[in-house]
Amino acid sequence: MTSDSKLKDVVNDINLNKNIGNFTYWVHRLSGIGLAIYLIMHTYVLSSAISSPEAFSARMGQVQNPFFAVLEVLLVAGVFAHMLNGLRITLTDFFGWTRAHKALFWAAAVLFIILMVIAIILQWPKFSPGSYMAGGN
Amino acid sequence: MAEKVSNQSALAWFLQRISGILLAFFLITHLNVHHLFHNITAEGIINFHSVQENLTSSVWWKVYYMLFVPFVAFHAMNGIWQIMADFRLSPGATIFLKAIFWVVGLVLTAIGAMTLINLF
Repeated sequence: MTSDSKLKDVVNDINLNKNIGNFTYWVHRLSGIGLAIYLIMHTYVLSSAISSPEAFSARMGQVQNPFFAVLEVLLVAGVFAHMLNGLRITLTDFFGWTRAHKALFWAAAVLFIILMVIAIILQWPKFSPGSYMAGGN
Repeated sequence: MAEKVSNQSALAWFLQRISGILLAFFLITHLNVHHLFHNITAEGIINFHSVQENLTSSVWWKVYYMLFVPFVAFHAMNGIWQIMADFRLSPGATIFLKAIFWVVGLVLTAIGAMTLINLF
């Protein structure tokens, strides 16, 4: 089987199985890949501490502004989506709650929305450029 | 003929769930302290000294991050490996990709540990 036909199989699978299980299967995988890429980038940014305190502070300064604050919300959304769905999968697997997987999905979805509203409220001051001028160490 | 079944797959599946449960705790704490509850208007931007001050405030932060780093590296690499395994790769590709993911995971852990040691 060629990689091309495997890709077609994936697309066909999505089109033929438009249900919660298949939707969360892809959300989990795509958010997981995104978070793994972020982990590598995050490690790269923080690793500047190995060079010097000044290098660390300079690089941290480059990633703290309103643009990155919005990206941070997307990161938090990816983390919460992956985390809540992962816990849903774990509960289903360990306790045999397969029949309750749809109810667990809706519980996770409601919790996700609540957590994201709280996260955006907490993150709100970072969307304003003026916030970065005050305070500091 | 029955297909050969490896216990490694079951172990990878089990460890993915165990590390995932632990990461739920680690990530909520980490996101709260260093991302969401960081008061930008009062504390300004995060820099070397503010992170160092936080990490040296308790020995538990050192224990916390020294556990967090290898768990997150394992969970990420094992997770991507499991996505790859869904495609039923050839034995050669399986060995090659497993080796790549182990190397990337260990390098991430080593860089993370060195970063933390410089911040402690």
